[in-house]
Amino acid sequence: MLSLLPKDFEFFITMGDSQYSFSLTTFSPSGKLVQIEHALTAVGSGQTSLGIKAANGVVIATEKKLPSILVDETSVQKIQCLTPNIGVVYSGMGPDFRVLVRKSRKQAEQYHRLYKEPIPVTQLVRETAAVMQEFTQSGGVRPFGVSLLIAGYDDNGPQLYQVDPSGSYFSWKASAMGKNVSNAKTFLEKRYTDDMELDDAVHTAILTLKEGFEGQISGKNIEIGIIGTDKKFRVLTPSEVDDYLAEVE
Amino acid sequence: MLANKGVNPPSFRKTGTTIVGLIFQDGVILGADTRATEGPIVCDKNCEKIHYMAPNIYCCGAGTAADTEAVTDMVSSQLQLHRYHTGRESRVVTALTLLKRHLFNYQGYVSAALVLGGVDVTGPHLHTIYPHGSTDTLPFATMGSGSLAAMAVFESKYKEGLTRNEGIELVTEAICSGIFNDLGSGSNVDVCVITKGGKEYLRNHLQPNPRTYTSSKGYSFPKKTEVLLTKIIPLKEKVEIIEGGDAMEE
Repeated sequence: MLSLLPKDFEFFITMGDSQYSFSLTTFSPSGKLVQIEHALTAVGSGQTSLGIKAANGVVIATEKKLPSILVDETSVQKIQCLTPNIGVVYSGMGPDFRVLVRKSRKQAEQYHRLYKEPIPVTQLVRETAAVMQEFTQSGGVRPFGVSLLIAGYDDNGPQLYQVDPSGSYFSWKASAMGKNVSNAKTFLEKRYTDDMELDDAVHTAILTLKEGFEGQISGKNIEIGIIGTDKKFRVLTPSEVDDYLAEVE
Repeated sequence: MLANKGVNPPSFRKTGTTIVGLIFQDGVILGADTRATEGPIVCDKNCEKIHYMAPNIYCCGAGTAADTEAVTDMVSSQLQLHRYHTGRESRVVTALTLLKRHLFNYQGYVSAALVLGGVDVTGPHLHTIYPHGSTDTLPFATMGSGSLAAMAVFESKYKEGLTRNEGIELVTEAICSGIFNDLGSGSNVDVCVITKGGKEYLRNHLQPNPRTYTSSKGYSFPKKTEVLLTKIIPLKEKVEIIEGGDAMEE
């Protein structure tokens, strides 16, 4: 129990003592933001997820390892839709992801209300990244423990972006995050071609996930989301995933 | 101040209006006229009064056009976010509650009188919403300045279990009654049919007021002003171009 000095009463906030009203992300002497580094570690220990941009679409995929066989896997959906033509997957803390998805959906809807135009992928990425950055420079909050892979198809064609807990974002042709990231990225570097079709990309995504997968891979323990030239993002059903798995065998 | 000199500010753009809705055997049919008025002047001869709320819910709006558009737009946005959050199709009662809460909060200052209709998992629904926030649930409803004319048609001809064509015909008749007997309504008839399978937006389903008075020969107006003299004076060049000189500093 921290003892309060008389001067502290002036700045008393419901959050706690004034000693804790600074941001947790203060610079270290080496110029790093330690909390963000830790957040990236949290991401790095999360389940593997990856995304591949094909010539005519984007595919994102993730492992869906549940803590026990008793968990109803139909109630868990890791890949979410932000707008009809933009989808997102994550590596890291699930609850943080849910908060970001909610905020992003609201921002996309507000953009649409204001401009009567579906939000471009880059805009949504920028706004989501801005939210994540806010939480690295405000008092009493912590950075989000997730990295996002945002896949979308708009007037600029298919796009894939990664957003980190720091709020920085990168456009990728193919990327992976989470546990098996280095192996997955090496695998993707070897397999990726610029003129890939969406179906090839799905197969490559499955093979990449298979690389680091412990146990038997099936439609029930991975999730795949695709968006093609129809500009409609959708998550594949477990039976569709099983079909793709059979093709890969 | 200008009013003293006889210059009045323009009154709000209102949608005089006849809007109707009825429940038929497979769902809901909404209808509306297409005249928008600014006081005694028709400012839009073909405006859209049937607004999108959700893929399975549409809303007709009477009253101040800006209010009906803004409120339906806002609730439509809220319904979209709700759909994402729940993963389910929107229900008509959800739209109803969001609208009535908003209108009640503004104590009637948001001048929007709405006919809300749609089909969801619980079946077809039709509601009217008044500017102060009260609502009714009805098998057939009319709103707007032409509501009495339209209601007269409904009261005499409505019956349960109408087929799609019978329903569209009845709705069209009711709107036409408003178009021809109410000064605030006019021009064309818009119809929207919503069923469990989907929706059909019949824009300008009937056009009983086509423009027939244009003269095919065109119009020629006699020249009233006599031309006495034609003189063209070129304006002096105001720019003097000095060749050379120093380049601007970066």
